[in-house]
Amino acid sequence: MQEEERLMVNGNLCKTGIEELDIQLGGGIPTGSTVLVVGSSGSGKTTLCMQFLINAANQGERGVFFTITEPLFKLTKNMEGFSFYDKKLIESGMVNLIDLRIISERLGLDTEKYTVEDASALLDILRDIADELNVKRLIIDSITALCYRLQTPEMIRDFIFKLGSSLAAMKCTTLLTSEVPPMTFQYSQYGIEEFISDGIMFLGDFERKGDLIRTFQLVKMRGAAHSRTKSAMSISSKNGVELAPLLKSRE
Amino acid sequence: MANVLIDGLKERIANAIKVNQSIGILLPGSNYSDLLQALFEHIESKTEEAWVYVSVTKPYDTLVKQYEYLADAKNVKFIDCISRAAGILRTDENCVYIESPTMLEKLGLEIINTFKEVKENTKKYLVIDSLSNLIVYNDPDIVTEFFYHIVNRTRAKDIHTISLAIEEEGLEKHLNRLVYLNDKILKVRDSFI
Repeated sequence: MQEEERLMVNGNLCKTGIEELDIQLGGGIPTGSTVLVVGSSGSGKTTLCMQFLINAANQGERGVFFTITEPLFKLTKNMEGFSFYDKKLIESGMVNLIDLRIISERLGLDTEKYTVEDASALLDILRDIADELNVKRLIIDSITALCYRLQTPEMIRDFIFKLGSSLAAMKCTTLLTSEVPPMTFQYSQYGIEEFISDGIMFLGDFERKGDLIRTFQLVKMRGAAHSRTKSAMSISSKNGVELAPLLKSRE
Repeated sequence: MANVLIDGLKERIANAIKVNQSIGILLPGSNYSDLLQALFEHIESKTEEAWVYVSVTKPYDTLVKQYEYLADAKNVKFIDCISRAAGILRTDENCVYIESPTMLEKLGLEIINTFKEVKENTKKYLVIDSLSNLIVYNDPDIVTEFFYHIVNRTRAKDIHTISLAIEEEGLEKHLNRLVYLNDKILKVRDSFI
């Protein structure tokens, strides 16, 4: 079997490479889907997304990671602590890390506030980069920070729908991270992001005897017979993100 | 007297393990250190087997100081659930540290992950020391659920579980329920040995 085919199950499922997650997904994410990865600060959104890209790159599938929340040196420094992270994949161009703020600067845009035209130009650039690099997987970290730079709810709404159409046309499997306040059960900051998404992964936590236990739940995944069970999620330098059955006895 | 006790325990452990079932060992606190010695001597003699020892009772560092041969033992890996919670920060090649004994799902993951590194066709054993201490840190119901998961998952992977339960006043009801999830129960009494 070819390396690339190993990532695809039944022809059109995109494996995350995280064993338990792929089982929950019924094999993988339907290829071409846009998935919202929701969680509060420190919930593991960036790590999960990076692992998704690296696992694919290890199997010969190219990906791009657009960040707008932290500078690249900080992102890579954080990732270097994980054994799944392989610098060679970045150097070889199998995983491309791009700081959207630098792109904005180069386009002459105000990096803190976007006009409708700015947002549209940025979308074009995103699409061009994805096409040029011929990527199969794309990450935007985060959609919340991107929308934060837009001035009005109407602009945000318009941008999100245009982004949805662009992503659908690109045919890559996309993860959009969405930041929400801690201990809440909402999927997005602006209430629109979930409507352009084919899937929602919710990263939460709860307190047990004073300790915070990370949780993971697949809320929706169009086109996949997926589990909706809440799992415990672990993040370790050795194995990255892992899922385990959540113990549900009363506390 | 102590040697007779330990030899008797070793023999009982060896016989119980032979049947390849999950074993619950219920013992009074006064016999705990003798049982530990018997268990570690048994492990030391079984170099061809793979053992994972989950400690909720003593930090790995203390165990190694007490039983020096454990430090270099190739056939046993430790999962220490209490050092981190007690503020002891260290790393050891032979030990995985869990942040807190309340992180039961993480403990379950680490047990399975540690056994994944064991070569195929190796006899695999898991020791949980102890169920009674897990109950000290957690709600008894959640420990029961955890233990039920572990016994079933390890059975499916041909891993034999040995769980210790130290008899304590007030815990009998919970310990009995837990211990009876095992295939076989070994009750340690001075008079039996």
